[in-house]
Amino acid sequence: MMENEALASRQLLWLKIKQTIEGYLYLSPTLIILGIFVFLPIITSFNLSLNRTAPFGSQMIFVGPDNYSRLLQDPSYWNSIRVTLLFTLGTVPTGLILAVLLAVALAYPVRRLSGLHRLLIFVPVVISSAVAGVIFRWLYHPVVGYLNYWLSLIGVDGPNWLASRDWALIAVILVSVWRQLGFNVIIALAGVQNIDSTYYDAAKVDGANAVQRFFHVTLPLLSPTLFFLLIINVINSFQTFGEIDILTQGGPGQATKTLVYSIYFDAFLGTPQRGYASAQAYLLALMILAMSFIQFRGFGKRVHYQ
Amino acid sequence: MSEKESLSISRSRVRREIGMQVLLIGLGLLVSLPIFIALFTSFKVPQEVITYPPRVIPQNWTFDNYVSAWNSNPFGRFLINSFIQTSLITIGQVLFSILAAYAFAILKFPGRNLFFYIVLASLMVPFELTLIPNFQLISRLGWTNSYQGLAVPFLASAFGVFLLRQFFLSVPRDLHEAAIIDGASNWRYLWQVLVPLSKGSIGAFAIFAFLSAYNQYLWPLIITSDIKMRTTQIGIRFFMVNLERGADWGAVMAATIVVSAPTLIAFLVAQKQLVKGIAMTGLKG
Repeated sequence: MMENEALASRQLLWLKIKQTIEGYLYLSPTLIILGIFVFLPIITSFNLSLNRTAPFGSQMIFVGPDNYSRLLQDPSYWNSIRVTLLFTLGTVPTGLILAVLLAVALAYPVRRLSGLHRLLIFVPVVISSAVAGVIFRWLYHPVVGYLNYWLSLIGVDGPNWLASRDWALIAVILVSVWRQLGFNVIIALAGVQNIDSTYYDAAKVDGANAVQRFFHVTLPLLSPTLFFLLIINVINSFQTFGEIDILTQGGPGQATKTLVYSIYFDAFLGTPQRGYASAQAYLLALMILAMSFIQFRGFGKRVHYQ
Repeated sequence: MSEKESLSISRSRVRREIGMQVLLIGLGLLVSLPIFIALFTSFKVPQEVITYPPRVIPQNWTFDNYVSAWNSNPFGRFLINSFIQTSLITIGQVLFSILAAYAFAILKFPGRNLFFYIVLASLMVPFELTLIPNFQLISRLGWTNSYQGLAVPFLASAFGVFLLRQFFLSVPRDLHEAAIIDGASNWRYLWQVLVPLSKGSIGAFAIFAFLSAYNQYLWPLIITSDIKMRTTQIGIRFFMVNLERGADWGAVMAATIVVSAPTLIAFLVAQKQLVKGIAMTGLKG
């Protein structure tokens, strides 16, 4: 009897050990990759940010928080912060408003279109930032571009978009809004379709017209989706790179040099200043982390987790 | 209600329906107009490309732009590079996410929850922070201008793990217990029961992974300097920059169509899965 029990408990222990080994074996590829390429860099890049490349060499010199204090006194860095904020202010509200309007239109039940309209509205989602940049570079062409031609039809003399300090950022914003639109509409549409139709029926019974129903039923019930989109879009616009590299390379002057572009510029172009760039990357990461954290909190509050 | 009245109601309904159809198609054409302009420009003869005022539809169709884009750049090579890079990343992410999701959802072992939160936390680390250290690591390994360099840092996906774990959790646990009692190993249960059951979610994630990998820009830009190792996205960048002086925009637009063809085709073939995959990022929060 006793022997049997001991045997059973030993077997149970063995089973537990086996399952633990199995569990970690299943996890290992993911943990190794994330460990090396996501978590380790958190430490390495902080370490890098405390160093400076010696002139005429690849030697790194420890300088402590020097890079950070240099950054805060660098007008070019403050310019990048300003450009990034303007870029975000330009893209996010426009993108969200367009997405909600298109989602509401798409939610309207139409027969005989067999999804063609959705296909046409979603399609920017598969276009890469490089391709979007190239296509719009053509549309922005100062002489034979479509955009200025269309503007001339309504009597507007279009600027030389990408070469103008005043317009380059707006040009980049337009491309970014366009490219994000597919993603935003897909998420917004899922949100709109999730709204229970009984709310609309009740509003109709109460005599609310379409506009009232939009503002008093659709928008409030869509707010969790909008909150999600807001944070994701802000984070995305803080990370936009491809369009800028294709369209303006941060110029003219520094008119479109966002924080990400500045990191790329300092780390990989000309004489690499990887320590200085790492300090910028660290500060950018903290800003993005703060936003992710806000989102995570909001997410935990509104979704029943597991 | 008289017959006349109901007729007029249904008539106004039909009219509203048609109006809505026209509006939606119009909006769709407006949104996708840049793609159509690129497509049509790619079929124009050089004089027509730079005609002012520009006309959207070509008058003399030609395929020359594709020929000259293809000949002036190794686009065949770019496509092969992108194909290999994208396949490695997609297969890696799908495979490793399935394994990790299985461990998190089905197996029981100490440290499971801790590691799940660690994997989730990786979603919060922005790409920019990892850029410079990863570049230095890959350089030190001698992996610049290589497929390993392009793909290895992206072989795992915390998002994929999270998504598939959610799905695996929705499968009744009894199924697992029954399989184990019947003598099946975890490995067999995973591949013969769970994976076939999750085809939809895995497919949606796979197509999402494919799209993100194919459209990558910053990493392939810094990790490849040899023209032979460029992906399509980087190839088109240098093509445009080099051509700017000659301004052969017809060929550049042909190149944008070639570069976008894989994702456009994937979109046309698997629109539902792709939209599902993207909508799931909304669930991810």
